[in-house]
Amino acid sequence: MLGELEQIVLLAVMRVGKDAYGVPIHDEIQRRAGRDLTLGTIYKTLSRLEEKGLVASHVGEPTAQRGGRRTRCYVVSAAGKRSLQTTFKALRHMASGLDVGLEPA
Amino acid sequence: MIRFCVWLLERTLRSDLADHVIGDLIEQQERGALWMLGETISALWHLHARPRPHGDFAQSVLADLRVAARLLRRSPAFTFVSVVTLGLAIGATTAIFSVIEPVLLRPLPYPNAEQLALVYERNADGSRDNIGFATFHDLVAQSRTIEHAAALGEWQPTLSDKSEPERVRGDRVSWTYFRTLGVRPALGRDFTEDEDAPGKNQVVMLSYGLWQRRYGGDTSIVGKAISIDGNPMTVAGVMPATFDNALSPQAKIWRVLGYLNQSYACRTCHSLRMIARIRPGVSLETAQGELDGIKSQLMQEYPKEYAAAGTIVGRVQDEVTMATRPALWALGGAVLLVLLIAVSNVVSLQLARAIRRVQEFAVRGALGASRARMIRQLLTEGLLLATLGGIAGLIVVYATLPLLVARLPQNMPRLAAIHVDPGALGVVTAIVLLLAVVMGLAPARGRFIDLSSALRSGRRLSGTANHATRATLVVGEVALAMILLVSAGLLGRSLVRLMSMDAGFDTTHLLTLEINSTGARYGNDTSVYEFHDRVREAVGALPGVVSVAVANQLPLGGNVDMYGVADPDNLPAKLEQLPFADRYTVSTGYLNTMRIPVLAGRGLTTADENESAPKVALVSEALAKRVWPNESPLGKRMRAGGAEYPIRTVIGVTGNIRHSGLDAKTTMQWYAPERQFDADNQEVLIVRTAGDPGALAPAVRRAISAIDPTQPIVKIATMDDVVAASTSQRRLALVLFATFAGAALLLAIAGIYGVLAGTVSERTREIGVRSALGATPQRLIGQIVRQGGRLAAFGILLGLGGSIALTRYLQSLLFGVPPNDPVTLVGVCLLLAAVTLAASFVPAARAARVEPSTALRSE
Repeated sequence: MLGELEQIVLLAVMRVGKDAYGVPIHDEIQRRAGRDLTLGTIYKTLSRLEEKGLVASHVGEPTAQRGGRRTRCYVVSAAGKRSLQTTFKALRHMASGLDVGLEPA
Repeated sequence: MIRFCVWLLERTLRSDLADHVIGDLIEQQERGALWMLGETISALWHLHARPRPHGDFAQSVLADLRVAARLLRRSPAFTFVSVVTLGLAIGATTAIFSVIEPVLLRPLPYPNAEQLALVYERNADGSRDNIGFATFHDLVAQSRTIEHAAALGEWQPTLSDKSEPERVRGDRVSWTYFRTLGVRPALGRDFTEDEDAPGKNQVVMLSYGLWQRRYGGDTSIVGKAISIDGNPMTVAGVMPATFDNALSPQAKIWRVLGYLNQSYACRTCHSLRMIARIRPGVSLETAQGELDGIKSQLMQEYPKEYAAAGTIVGRVQDEVTMATRPALWALGGAVLLVLLIAVSNVVSLQLARAIRRVQEFAVRGALGASRARMIRQLLTEGLLLATLGGIAGLIVVYATLPLLVARLPQNMPRLAAIHVDPGALGVVTAIVLLLAVVMGLAPARGRFIDLSSALRSGRRLSGTANHATRATLVVGEVALAMILLVSAGLLGRSLVRLMSMDAGFDTTHLLTLEINSTGARYGNDTSVYEFHDRVREAVGALPGVVSVAVANQLPLGGNVDMYGVADPDNLPAKLEQLPFADRYTVSTGYLNTMRIPVLAGRGLTTADENESAPKVALVSEALAKRVWPNESPLGKRMRAGGAEYPIRTVIGVTGNIRHSGLDAKTTMQWYAPERQFDADNQEVLIVRTAGDPGALAPAVRRAISAIDPTQPIVKIATMDDVVAASTSQRRLALVLFATFAGAALLLAIAGIYGVLAGTVSERTREIGVRSALGATPQRLIGQIVRQGGRLAAFGILLGLGGSIALTRYLQSLLFGVPPNDPVTLVGVCLLLAAVTLAASFVPAARAARVEPSTALRSE
C-alpha cells in the first residue's frame, strides 16, 4: 500500500515521462494537485520509492542552465505501476457503496 | 544567497544528491532568495544522511537539532511557556539596556567628548549653581586649561514669518558654542566673534529638523532674514541632521548670546550654563583646580558679589544624565532580576521534563550512547529553546522600545540615539548562549543516576537531586520576586505620598495655556497689557468659566525666574546672601483663581492695575519670615532685583506654594501686578472652571484667536495634567517596576505550583497507599501545603535580606518613604505568603483526591 505522497509523486513521474527530475515533477504536482511541495520532500520520497524498487533512476547530462550540475531522472518501474494499481483497487473497494465520489468510472 | 545555500548543501548532503538538488535550485533561482532558503532548509531536513556512529560532526549536530525540534513540538505547552517566558525577559532586558547604553555608556557624539565639561559655580553647601556672564567671561579669559568655552541660556522665540506663528525651543549661545562641541554647520557658516555683541546678535542657526519641517529644506534660506518675535534675524546656517544637542535636546534654533556689557551680564545673575573644552592631556581635576584659583581671585576683587568660593567641573555626559541615571540603573538591576527569575523558571521546567525522560536516556545509554553524546543532545535542546526565546525577545524589543522611548522625559539627552542596536543584539546573543549552557547542563545533573536502576524501575523513579535543585530555584525566584515587589511598593508609596503633598493651591478645575504677544503690534508694554485685558474679558465671559487670570509663569510648570529680594532699609552684608524668590507678576484675580490664601493684609485690586499706581507686592509666608524674621512685613519697603527695579510696599502675605515640584525644595515667592513690571510677551492664562476644565479648551482657544489670530496658543493643559507631568518620571519608573514585579510574582507562583504539582504526580502511589491506610484528606493537603509554605518562607526570608541590602540604591527615587519602610516590607511578605499558599492548594487538593485503588493499579 502506497502513502499519499508516494502516489502523487509516482503519478507525477509518469505524467512528466521523459526527463522526470525534481523541477518538472514539482511543477506537475503543483499544476495538477495544487500542492507546493519542496524539492527536498520530492527527492526524499523518490529515494524511498527507489529503495522499494518502485522507480528507477539514471543520471542525466550536466547543463549550463544548471550551473554545470547533473540531473537525476526517474522512471516508474513495473513494480511501481503494480503497486499503484493495488492501491487504487484497495481504495475503490473501500469506497464502494459509499457516497464519496470514488465509484469506478 | 545562492552561494551560501550551495555551500551548505555541498557540506551536508551526499555528493551525488547535492548535485541534483543544487542543479534544480540554480535552474529555478529566479524564484528569489527566500524561496531558495526555504528549499535549502527543507532539503537539509529531508535529505541529509543519517548520522553514522562516528559520523561527520555537522551531520550529527543536524540530527541533534532534528531530535530537539521534534521533542519541543511534542510538548507544545512546555515549549510555549518557556519561549514566552524567555522572550519577555530577554526582550525587556534588551529594551532597558538599549536605553542605558546610548544614554549612560556610549560617549557623546562629539570629537574627544571626554574633554568636554560643564562648569558650575559652587554654592556654600557644595551644590551646583549656574554661572553669571561676567564670571564666565573672566574664567575663560584667565584660564590656560580651557581650549574653548561657551555660555548658553534658554530662549523660546516665536517664529512669526509665516501665516501660522509657532513657538519653538532654542538656546542663546556664545559664538563659540558649536566650535566648543566640535560640530560644524552642514549648511552656511558658524557664528563669528563680532556677532557676539549687543545689537549685532541678530543671527540664528537652525536645526536640521526645523529647517526641513518649517522651511522645506530650502537651501537658499542661508544668509536671508527670517522674522523672529517680529524682528528680522539672519540665518547663518543649518546644523547637520546627525547633530545631537546633548546639553538641551529640545533646542531647535540658536541665537548668538550678545551679553557683553549688558546689565544682566553681572556676577550675581546665575542664569547661564557654561560648557568648556579642556585642553587635550589636561584632566578635569586639574582644570577645576585652576578655575577654583581664578574664582578665589575674583572673590577678592568683588567681595560683595560672591558668597562661596570654588567651581565644579563635571564631565558633560555625567552632568546631563544626572537626573535620570539612578532610575535607569535601578531599572537595569530590576530587569536583570526578572531575567534571572525567568531563567530559573525555564530551567525548573526543563528539570521537570528531565524526570519524565529518565527512561528515555537510560535506553539511549543502554544502546551505547556516550555520556558526552547525551550531554551534547541536551545542549542542542537548550540552544534551540534559547534561540527561540531570543527570537521572541527580539520581537518583544521591537514592539516595546518605541513605546518606552515615547514615555521617557523628552528633555532627556541622547533620546534620538536609542534604538535596538548591534550592542543590544550582542547582549541578547550573549544571554541566549549563556542560557543554552545553563539549560543544557542543569537537567544533566539529575540525569545520570544509575542507568540500570532507571531501566528497571520504570516510571516510578523520582529524581531526588533533581527535586532539591528545583526547590532551590523556586526559593530563589520567590526571593527575587520579593525584592522587585518591595521596590515597586516603595515607589508606589512614594508616588502616593507625593500626590498627597499640598501644592499650596487648588489644582482641580483649572485650565492653563500659554498666550503670546509678539511682533510689531505689541511694540510697547501697554499694548501687551491691553491684549491680556481683552483676553481675560473674553474668556471670563464664556459659560462655565468661574474666574480667569494672567501670570508670567505657572507653579510646577518647570520655569525658573527668581529675583533677589531685600528690604532696602536693611540690606544683608553680601549681595549673594539675598534670598531668591520666584517672581509672579500677575493680573488681579490670580490668587483667587489659584485659591492661594492671603494670610495677612490684602490681595491685589483693580486699583493696583495701573502703571502709575503706587508700586505694591505680596510676599509668601516663607519669604516674609526670611526677610523680616521677627516683625510683620505689612507696610515694609522691598526691592526685588537690582537697583534698576523699583521699591515696592508690601501689602499682603500669601500661603507658600510648591513652585519647582512637589518633591523639590520649597522656594519663596513674591507677587506684583503685571502692570508694575516689564511686559512679558509669553504669559500663562489660568482659567478656573465649574465643570471639566479640558472640555472648555476649544472655546477658550476660539475666544483668544478671535482677538488676535496671529499669536500661537500653546501648552493647553489642565492643572492636574501639569502636576502629573511634573511627576511623569516617577510614574514611568513605577509602571516599569510594577510590571517587572508583577511578572516576577507570576513566575514565582508558577514555580511553586510546578514543584508541588511535580511532587504530587510523582508520589501518586505513595499518596494512594497512605490514603488507603487511613490518612485523611486534610492531612494529605496539609503535607503538600506545608512543603509549599516551607519554600515560600525560605524565599521570603532571603528576599527580606535582599530587599534590605538592595533598596538603598532606590533612595534617590523615593519620596517620604525610607528604603526599609516596614509597612512595605511587611505588606509584601504577607502578599507573597498569601499568594504562594494559594498556589500550593491546587496541587494539594489534587493529592487529596487521589483514589487509592487507581494509584495502586497505575503500576
